[in-house]
Amino acid sequence: MNSDIFNQSVLPLKDKLYRLALSIVRNRTEAEDIVQDVFLKIWSKQDEWELIDNMEAYCYRSIKNLSFDRLESMAARSAEKYNAETENMMFVDTKNPHSAFVEKEQIDIIYKCIEKLSENQKMVFQLREIEGMSYKDIAQSLNMSEELVKISLYRARKKIKELLEELNK
Amino acid sequence: MKPTEEINALLVKYWKGETSLEEEDSLTKYFTGRDVADELKPYTALFQYRENLRCATLSDDFDRKLKKAIQQKKRENDYITIRIFVPALRIAASVAVALALSFGVYMMIGKSDKTYFAETYSDPNAAMEHAAFALDKLSEALQKGEEASIESIQELNKVDLDWEMLDSITESDINYQKSTDSLPLENNL
Repeated sequence: MNSDIFNQSVLPLKDKLYRLALSIVRNRTEAEDIVQDVFLKIWSKQDEWELIDNMEAYCYRSIKNLSFDRLESMAARSAEKYNAETENMMFVDTKNPHSAFVEKEQIDIIYKCIEKLSENQKMVFQLREIEGMSYKDIAQSLNMSEELVKISLYRARKKIKELLEELNK
Repeated sequence: MKPTEEINALLVKYWKGETSLEEEDSLTKYFTGRDVADELKPYTALFQYRENLRCATLSDDFDRKLKKAIQQKKRENDYITIRIFVPALRIAASVAVALALSFGVYMMIGKSDKTYFAETYSDPNAAMEHAAFALDKLSEALQKGEEASIESIQELNKVDLDWEMLDSITESDINYQKSTDSLPLENNL
């Protein structure tokens, strides 16, 4: 019974949760570990499932919290090693070295912009831009009002626009 | 409307958060293509990031790794449960052994090991009081016995008896008296 709930409600979120973790830690291995750790934590708290109103929101919150914790511990590690791993994540094998390099530079720019956003803005931005979720679904997933979602997204985009224009001057 | 003007109009809506998901997809398609207008190139990074991250998925063996990790966690939980109860089980076993040994020893030597004297008082003063009371009672009883004996002797002294004659009565005299006592009543008259 419990494994059914887990398979039906939690497991299908795995790629979305992975992309959210990836957008924060910018490292594929770390992001995968984070998703696995969160799933294990959820699985081992089966007795508390009934107390969780919104499992999807709970998963997103857990991923967000663990990703930021992991980001701090990663920052404490060797900066050189971290950068090397991050670079690996950015390159896409199917492209030629030049376009891959340009692409990496562009994505580095956007990451710099995203880093300036608040946690809420980051979450809303990721779910809208990457997962293509409606305002209503984002509000439900993050346990926020739809109005707050719209405001957060508006502010996030505005800030990114300003930063992009500044960086490209 | 020219394509660039259309994109500009969409971008304005996008920054305000007024675009639909379909309009945002068309922006991504434009910015990840080759014909991006120079004045719009600063925004390419944003849509490139969108496109790149959307393709990211977990590795194929994630489910297998997760299943393995869950099984490992189950084993750990079972082990922890056993570890938690081990001390209690040890204590219970020790108590059971101690009880069994005590019962065995009691059964073996219980009958010959009766306690004759046992401490029944926890307060020494109370014990002393009770002991003194008991001795008083005993002393009182002995006193009464002694007084009764003296009284009996005094009563006997009042009776005028020839003690020498009594002492000289022999056994044959007693037997003779008994034989005369057993004769028919008429003979005595």
